[in-house]
Amino acid sequence: MSITRRQALASGAAVLATTIAKPAIAAKDPIQVGYLPALTGPSSSTGVGINRGIQLAVQEINAAGGIDGRQLELITRDTQSDPTKAVNGAAELTRGQKVSCVFGPVNSGESLAVVPLLARTNTPQIHPCWVDTLTDPKKFPACFRNAPTNQQIGGAANRYVTEVLKRKKVAVVSDTTGYGTASVNAYVPMLKEKGAEVVYQGNIDAANPDLKPELLRMQNAGAEAIMPWSVNAGFLSRIINTRGQMGWDVPIVGQTTLGSGQTAALLEKQDFWAKVYPNNFRPVCFTPDGKMTDRTSAFVDRLKSAKIEMGDTLLWWIALGYDSPLMIAEAMKSVGTEPDKIVGYLNQLKSFPGVYGDISFTPDRHDGYPDEQVVMVEANSLKNGAFKLAPGYSA
Amino acid sequence: MVQSIILSGVAVGCVYALIAIAYNVMFSASRVFSFTAGTLGMLGGVLGSLFILRMGLPVSVGFVLALAGGAVFGIITEIVAVRPVLKSLDQHLYVLSTLALALMVQQFTAIEWSTEPQPFPRLFDIARIDFDQQFWLPMLACAVSIVGLELLYRHTLIGYAFLAISEDNYAARALGLPERGLRMASFAIAGAIGALAGFAGGEMLLAFFANAPMLTFYGFVPVALGGMGNNRGAVVAGLLLGLFQQAANFLVGGIFASVAVFTVFIVVLLARPDGLAGASLRRRV
Repeated sequence: MSITRRQALASGAAVLATTIAKPAIAAKDPIQVGYLPALTGPSSSTGVGINRGIQLAVQEINAAGGIDGRQLELITRDTQSDPTKAVNGAAELTRGQKVSCVFGPVNSGESLAVVPLLARTNTPQIHPCWVDTLTDPKKFPACFRNAPTNQQIGGAANRYVTEVLKRKKVAVVSDTTGYGTASVNAYVPMLKEKGAEVVYQGNIDAANPDLKPELLRMQNAGAEAIMPWSVNAGFLSRIINTRGQMGWDVPIVGQTTLGSGQTAALLEKQDFWAKVYPNNFRPVCFTPDGKMTDRTSAFVDRLKSAKIEMGDTLLWWIALGYDSPLMIAEAMKSVGTEPDKIVGYLNQLKSFPGVYGDISFTPDRHDGYPDEQVVMVEANSLKNGAFKLAPGYSA
Repeated sequence: MVQSIILSGVAVGCVYALIAIAYNVMFSASRVFSFTAGTLGMLGGVLGSLFILRMGLPVSVGFVLALAGGAVFGIITEIVAVRPVLKSLDQHLYVLSTLALALMVQQFTAIEWSTEPQPFPRLFDIARIDFDQQFWLPMLACAVSIVGLELLYRHTLIGYAFLAISEDNYAARALGLPERGLRMASFAIAGAIGALAGFAGGEMLLAFFANAPMLTFYGFVPVALGGMGNNRGAVVAGLLLGLFQQAANFLVGGIFASVAVFTVFIVVLLARPDGLAGASLRRRV
């Protein structure tokens, strides 16, 4: 059978039409974003809180029409608080699912394993983990942090002790974990630079049931403030309880866990929680007159109308989770879903207005959280997952 | 400060001694070192907190139920992890089987109870003083346990039967003693003693799943130092361990305290391989 020129042209046009139609169909496919939370396991309380914000944000993005008509689809792999499972999840997301971008993991231990892996596949990654080495624009050019670093956390506590409380003699202690000892080693020189005298420094066994000798030594050394660095609620509650039993009226300033519900549950008396100042973040705190910023108030209203529980978690976890997909969606709306373009966009990001904080990146700095928004709060003011700013901060 | 070190040192030492006694009671009945001893201590604290704080039961009922829970776990240990490996005792398979059971229970507790330490109730509603109930309760529990066991072993017929299977299993069976039943009873007693350790020390150690490995390790030290199967030696070694550990915590700090404890442990065992109060076994060759 011979083919006429007209038939050849017609079939060529049909082929061309089919080929052109393909991207139009693809454009309607959902955009897949990888998500590596710890929803179960020993470190899951953070992940569960963050997850509430993430789910709300994705619902809102999709209800508003998605990204240029395409829905945002989270491909979730629960890390179970286990770095090995986080690595497996990350490998599957990038090689099997071919996601455009990854949010998480949300715990430093898991991120330490995942960040180098994602860097090899050049997948854009945003994570909220505090360990300083988890961003490095040279080693991990596609990795960004939308949360503070440990340096910023320690820096805020040190500033509060030396500049606001005007305490010059400080006891800095931790448990014997890697996090605890690294924090003491990092923060003691920072305190000394600020002119404080570290009169007592130590790593205490968190299983030690009686911390009275330790606190007596701090008292004898003349400590005017105690700065404990630990995520162990049992250890922190023992410090607070012992201070209370001794009737020692000295402020305790340090890690966010000082203000957690688990720590509160282990206190002998709720009065002992006074003068305890954990880290927190200004945009999600109550001002001294009990108010929040307009942006945060509107967010809390949205959480209430969506019937999202706040009382059993922390507002900053939900806010951080909420901001992250919005930031990714903004990037994709502006430059599309190509990894290089997303990285290019994030490298120039300036004051992204998150509920949790205003995030900015530069090509040389991928730590986006502003110093001044890391603050200290009153532990015993916890209400609906949020705290009141510690005394001495202006509204 | 010295008073504080002595009080908490003796109190913690009593908890270690009770765990060591639980090891010994199980060892005497079966020649097996059951590494579930620390798990029993952990369960005592967790069950006490569960029954009294979460379920709101009276302290006395919570206490009895916590000890009963320990006894039941002791019996389960005998059936699941000890009995199947008794025939090949020389291969030391019990290390694996008892450790596996301990780990399973520990992980189950972490998942179902909490991965964070939970509060343990104050058992008596009395004002807090220096010599507080959190210190004297473990001491009292230790004294009651050691006196109770002495009375049981020295003055009752069933106690003699326990001693008989402990001394010579084959001869005891030849005399018609119900060896399996006595072994299960020993594991139940050990379970209750282990749970008593965790319950009495609950206010100090809190209701925390990670107490299990800590008590398993520190409870084994008095067993080795005091001589295997020797309860009096275990109590003395437990008290010394508690005091030494608290003093080391105070003098050299948290990181090195455990190192100091295990250094002394190794040195003592090098000098006296059978423990401070142990006697070497003679074996016919």
